[in-house]
Amino acid sequence: MGDYALLYILFAPFFGALALIFVSNRQTLLVRGIAAGSAFISLIASLYLFYSYDPVRGGFQFIQRFEWSRQLGISLYLGVDGIGTPLVLASSILLFAGIFVSWHIKDRAKEFYIWILILAAATIGVFMSLDLFFLYFFYEMSVIPMYLLLGMWGSHTKKYLEMTDPEGVKQRDSVGFIFNFGSNSKEYAAMKLVLFLSAFAVAAFMGILLIYKYSGLNTFDILVLREHANLMNIPVLGTTLDKIIWVLIFFGFASIAPLWPLHSWSPVGHAAAPAATSMLHAGVLMKLGHFSIIRVAYEILPETTRELMPMAAVLCMFSIVYGGFVAYYAKDTKYVIGYSSSSHMGYVFLGMAALDYISLSGAVIYMFAHAMATGMLFSMAGWVYDQTHTRDIPSLGGLSNKMPFISACFVVGCMASIGMPGTINFIAEVMIIVGSWNKYPLQVIVAVLGIVLTMAYLFKMMRSLFYGPMDQKYSHSHDAVAFVDRLPLLIMISVSVGFGLFPMHLYNVVRSGVDPLIAKITHVVPVAELQAPEAPATSLHEQLAARGAQLPDSRMAQ
Amino acid sequence: MNFELNMTIADLLFLLPEIFLTLWLCLVLIVDFAFPRLPKEQLAYLSVVGLVVTLGCLAWFDLTHISGALFGNMFVLDRMSIFFKMFIIGASILVILASIEYVNRFAFFRGEYYFLIVMSALGMMFMASANDLLSLFVTLEFSTFGFYVLVAYLREDLASNEAGLKFFILGVFAAGLLAYGISLVYGETGKLVFSDMASAPATPGLIIGFLLIFAALGFKIGAVPFHSWIPDTYHGAPTPVTAFLSIAPKGAAIAILLRLFFVALFTFKPMWVLLLAAVSVLSMTYANIVAIAQTNIKRLLAYSGIAQIGNVLIGMAAGTKMGNDAILFYLLTYLFANIGAFAVVIAMSQAIGSEEINDYSGLNRRSPFLAFSMLLFLLSLAGVPPLAGFIGKIYIFVAAIKEGLYTLITVGLVNIVISMYYYLIVVKKMYIAEPIDPSPIRISGPMKAVVYVGLAGTLLIGIYPQPFIDWVVSATMMFSHLPAPATTALPPIPPLGG
Repeated sequence: MGDYALLYILFAPFFGALALIFVSNRQTLLVRGIAAGSAFISLIASLYLFYSYDPVRGGFQFIQRFEWSRQLGISLYLGVDGIGTPLVLASSILLFAGIFVSWHIKDRAKEFYIWILILAAATIGVFMSLDLFFLYFFYEMSVIPMYLLLGMWGSHTKKYLEMTDPEGVKQRDSVGFIFNFGSNSKEYAAMKLVLFLSAFAVAAFMGILLIYKYSGLNTFDILVLREHANLMNIPVLGTTLDKIIWVLIFFGFASIAPLWPLHSWSPVGHAAAPAATSMLHAGVLMKLGHFSIIRVAYEILPETTRELMPMAAVLCMFSIVYGGFVAYYAKDTKYVIGYSSSSHMGYVFLGMAALDYISLSGAVIYMFAHAMATGMLFSMAGWVYDQTHTRDIPSLGGLSNKMPFISACFVVGCMASIGMPGTINFIAEVMIIVGSWNKYPLQVIVAVLGIVLTMAYLFKMMRSLFYGPMDQKYSHSHDAVAFVDRLPLLIMISVSVGFGLFPMHLYNVVRSGVDPLIAKITHVVPVAELQAPEAPATSLHEQLAARGAQLPDSRMAQ
Repeated sequence: MNFELNMTIADLLFLLPEIFLTLWLCLVLIVDFAFPRLPKEQLAYLSVVGLVVTLGCLAWFDLTHISGALFGNMFVLDRMSIFFKMFIIGASILVILASIEYVNRFAFFRGEYYFLIVMSALGMMFMASANDLLSLFVTLEFSTFGFYVLVAYLREDLASNEAGLKFFILGVFAAGLLAYGISLVYGETGKLVFSDMASAPATPGLIIGFLLIFAALGFKIGAVPFHSWIPDTYHGAPTPVTAFLSIAPKGAAIAILLRLFFVALFTFKPMWVLLLAAVSVLSMTYANIVAIAQTNIKRLLAYSGIAQIGNVLIGMAAGTKMGNDAILFYLLTYLFANIGAFAVVIAMSQAIGSEEINDYSGLNRRSPFLAFSMLLFLLSLAGVPPLAGFIGKIYIFVAAIKEGLYTLITVGLVNIVISMYYYLIVVKKMYIAEPIDPSPIRISGPMKAVVYVGLAGTLLIGIYPQPFIDWVVSATMMFSHLPAPATTALPPIPPLGG
């Protein structure tokens, strides 16, 4: 495959979806086979991509370029750097796992797989776009399948179904209902998600258009724009143009991240979505936000990023604390995981805001790590829901007798989410905390408290789901015994633990993408031959040592 | 002013498609009268054959760059008029194919239906070539004449009669405005041909005259505030006629507007940019907000059409060649998506006898093909990648941003989000709601063909737009003298892999 790896990764799911159109819904095995097969091609190609990406050479590799429109200056320009590579890998792992998580879907299975393949392929497309137009193209394309996935295969929240309307009038979807976050219909969740994300996406697109206009280069090519676009010091509306563009881009993309206070679509959407969709949604769709900010704002407007990024450092605290507290009090398994996701995305923003080699690398690794951890948790929440038909935490209990495998995996998932040593999340969290301590000590303290909070709500949920007395009505529920049911969990666990034990290649790849970016933004030269943790047990120590070595440099820069 | 009609036979070549279609039109009518027992769908296919031959002839003109002017510049055949003629013919073919089944609903005059459709198409072909005020008036009325009859074709149906009456009264009113505007303009300038007026000074009479002409054309394209006939007429008219009405006259009127603004009135550009911007903002915002409340799919598509025209006017307000390219491209994307959506509406109305959005519940279970097609058409109208409508919108926005029309673009982008809401409501009914009557829906062969053409166009333009962009760029060659926005030369592409 060689140079064409990106095309395989991107187009295998698309062609899979296309092939599925011509298959009858009754041929269940063929439908699943095509879906799994195309996801598998994508997975194999992205494993190849990840391991043959050369971190020493760095930069954008595996480049593919096809002229798409001369007049508009658009080309299908694909390539990955050290930041895109792990995220592409995470997307295809989650897609592959998601196909198996939704293996038993009965209702319109063919269409489900079509939409999930398109969703994943569009997400992957964003991670490898080097053209602003295609970045937006794939970004917007990933939003619409969510509507159908949520609406057709999603579920209402428990309280919604209990809502009674005294006169038999349909009042459930009335205006006042919008502010009733606890009880939503899946239609409402789907519509909110799409409109919210589209509204902010067009803001980001306005920013992209402004870049296009003021660069005067008649191109959407990110690599050309980052070298040649001169957007600084153009006074507009009492401020400068670059600030306006940056704010449009940042908040446009931060909505999907989701940064507080733009997060409200997210937990609602998670709760309504079927398990595989939640996995992709929390696992990779949310990372589109961070990734696009890095790709557009960091690459093209480095000076403005340095100036305005502290804004994110303030907002991320609210993300972490707010998400954590709501997750603690939420009674719905998917709300807990959904709010925990939006809380954890605050760490990524913290790592990005510190603009430090270690912290930004940590943020990127955290995106990868969080994809695996939250993918596990959502797939298991989906399993529990399928078995018990409820997501109401207080009414569940003692399920570990009935499903020992799931409960064991759930413990691992919680550990990964918390950031236990031995999982890749630990390394990422440590890097973020260590890397941003110099610049944002307050935020780091909040982040550490956030980890404690994470433990609190995940352990609380784990206890009430799997331990204690069990209601007899759940006695018919059973464990994941079949190979296809266990496979996705085993994949995600092994990836999480595997990289936790052997993170060096991932770290090198990420650093090769982060280094030129941070060097351009902060003008601080990275410490040469910085050693990454070889094993988690010593990583904290080594990181601190590395950090100490870097201190004089950053002080000089300030 | 005296016309010299010293034509040669060679000149008639420019009129070949029109002459051929006129003869074919008579043939259709003769066959209808001579063979009253002939199944009427044969007439449909006969008309389609004539239209296809005309389309082929136009394609030949386009490929061999045949162009010229006739009758003292009253009639021009340039690449833009060829584009619009092909656009109109294409729309007519699809509409005729989509109406074969529907025509059985008419109690009388089933054969004349096809005659009237082709006759309107012929009128609009002349409209695309109109290059002076007289031919503007004559061709506009010629094309509208067929529609007056077509809209009221369901004679037993009160809504259709009301639609016909409303369309007729307002249409005649618009014609009156047009005639008055033409007389004012002619009185002020003493000229009829667009290109002769280019240097006329801006006197009040001239400005009022042009505003009146713009109002009449605004009526044709259905821009706010000249839109009031649209919802009721679209709602009451037979659905295939609605489909035709929502596409072809808009294309023809846009052709005239382009000539009027860019040839006759280019010196007044600062003034008409403001006019177009105001009309565009009103059209998009008003139509998209009102569309949310619609319960009938035809009315929803009517308002969506008004909003789309608002988008088109953004491109016109840019006032550059690129803006005009974008308009032509946008119309092309709109053609496929809109005809496709109406084809689904016609198929549904044949199958369930209703055009209420509520009756689309569970369409996905009843006919996955129709639901999926409708989904793609609506998303294309909303502007979602990778569909044609998205590229159309982006093209217009890119053309407009180069001229710095930030307000218009912001309004346009916000309207994309608003429009997404009401398109998704239809999607919600089709995909999420459960069907009331789960029986499967059958579609006739020609209808399927129309939907397939719509799907192919919507997807192909969305995924690989370059040939279509090249086509529209060459179609607007007549505007290549317009000042282009300054761009820095593109620096050399950096070495790959670096």
